[in-house]
Amino acid sequence: MLPPVRNDRLLVILAIVVGVVLIVVGIVYWVEPAKSLPGFFPGHQAGSGHHHVKHGIAAFLLGVACLVFAWFRSGPSRTPAA
Amino acid sequence: MIATTLITYTQAIVLGLLQGVTELFPISSLGHSVILPSLLGWNIHQNDQYFLTFLVATHLATAIVLLIFFWRDWVRIVKGLGRSLRDRAIARDDFDAKLGWLLVVGTIPAGILGLALESALRKVFASPTSASVFLMLNGVLLAGAEVLRRRAPVTADEDDVRIARTVSWLDSACVGAAQALALIPGFSRSGAAMGGGLVVGLSHKDAARFAFLLATPIIGAAALLKLPELFGPTGNGVRGQALAGALAAAFAASVSVRFLMRYFETRTLIPFAVYSFVAGLACVIYFVT
Repeated sequence: MLPPVRNDRLLVILAIVVGVVLIVVGIVYWVEPAKSLPGFFPGHQAGSGHHHVKHGIAAFLLGVACLVFAWFRSGPSRTPAA
Repeated sequence: MIATTLITYTQAIVLGLLQGVTELFPISSLGHSVILPSLLGWNIHQNDQYFLTFLVATHLATAIVLLIFFWRDWVRIVKGLGRSLRDRAIARDDFDAKLGWLLVVGTIPAGILGLALESALRKVFASPTSASVFLMLNGVLLAGAEVLRRRAPVTADEDDVRIARTVSWLDSACVGAAQALALIPGFSRSGAAMGGGLVVGLSHKDAARFAFLLATPIIGAAALLKLPELFGPTGNGVRGQALAGALAAAFAASVSVRFLMRYFETRTLIPFAVYSFVAGLACVIYFVT
C-alpha cells in the first residue's frame, strides 16, 4: 500500500509535471511546422509549413511559471510577504 | 522598395512622436496610430506589413526609455527576485521581491492574451471608425475607474513598499490581464493598468508607477519578438524611417514619463477620460459623415 501523499506535495508534483509537459509542448511548437503537429494541438493545420512560434512561447512561459510555483511551494519555509 | 514611397521621414517622425506620447498617456497609442493617418489623409494602414515593422522600432524605443527611467528600480526588483528564488520564499519585509513577483504575475496573463489575440483583434478592429468608438469607450473606462477607485491609504512608506503592500497576487493578475484591452485599437494599455491600479486601492502616482513597470516587459518583449522583421525582407525600405521614428518616440516617451510621474502626484485620470471621449466622438462623427 502506498503511503498517503500530502495535498501540498501533490500540488508540487502536479506543477512539475505540467511545467515539464508545457515546456516540451513549447519546443514542439518551435521545431515542428503546423502540418506535423499532433492533431489535438491548437494550430495544427494539414499542409501548412508555418511554425507557431507564439504558441511555443506561450506554452514555454507557462511551463516555466509552473516550475517556479513548484520551486516556491516546495521550499523549506513559506513566509508570506506583508 | 514600395515602402519608401508609402512612409516619408516626416510621417515617420510625426508617428514616432505620437507613439512615444500616446503609449504612456492613457489615451491609446494603437487607436491614435489608426486614426491620425486617416485624419491626415495618409495612405498608411494599420495592417500594412511595413507599418507594423515600423511600429516595432517605435515600441522598442519606448520600452528602452521606460527601462532606463526605472533602471534603479529594475535593478532592485531583479535582485529581489534573485533573493526569493535562492531562499525559495518571499521574506515578509522583502518588498522588492514581492513587487517583482507581482510584476511577473501581472505580465503572464497579459503576455498570453497578447500572443493569443493580437493578430486577430488587430485585423478585426482595424478601421478608424471602430478605433474612434473604442477611444470613446476608453474615456468611459478611465472615468469609471475614477468612480470605482478605493481611497488609497496615506502612508510614509516608499512607493514600491506601498504598491507591494496594497496589491494582492489576484489584483496583479487582473490588472495585468486588463492590459490586454489595449489589443483593441482605441483602448489604452496604460489606462487599463492605471485604472485597475486605482480600483485595487493604489494612489494615482502608485497606479501610474505600477502601470509603467508592468508595461516595460510587455512592450519590450512584443517589440523584440518582431524585431527580426525589421532586419528581414519586410524591413526593406523602411529601416531609415523606423530609426527616425524610434528616435522621435524615444524623445517623446522620455518627456512623457517624466511629465506623467509628476502629474499623477496630485492629479487624476479625468482629463484623459474627457479627451478620449470627446476626441473619439468627434472622430466618429467625422468618419461616418
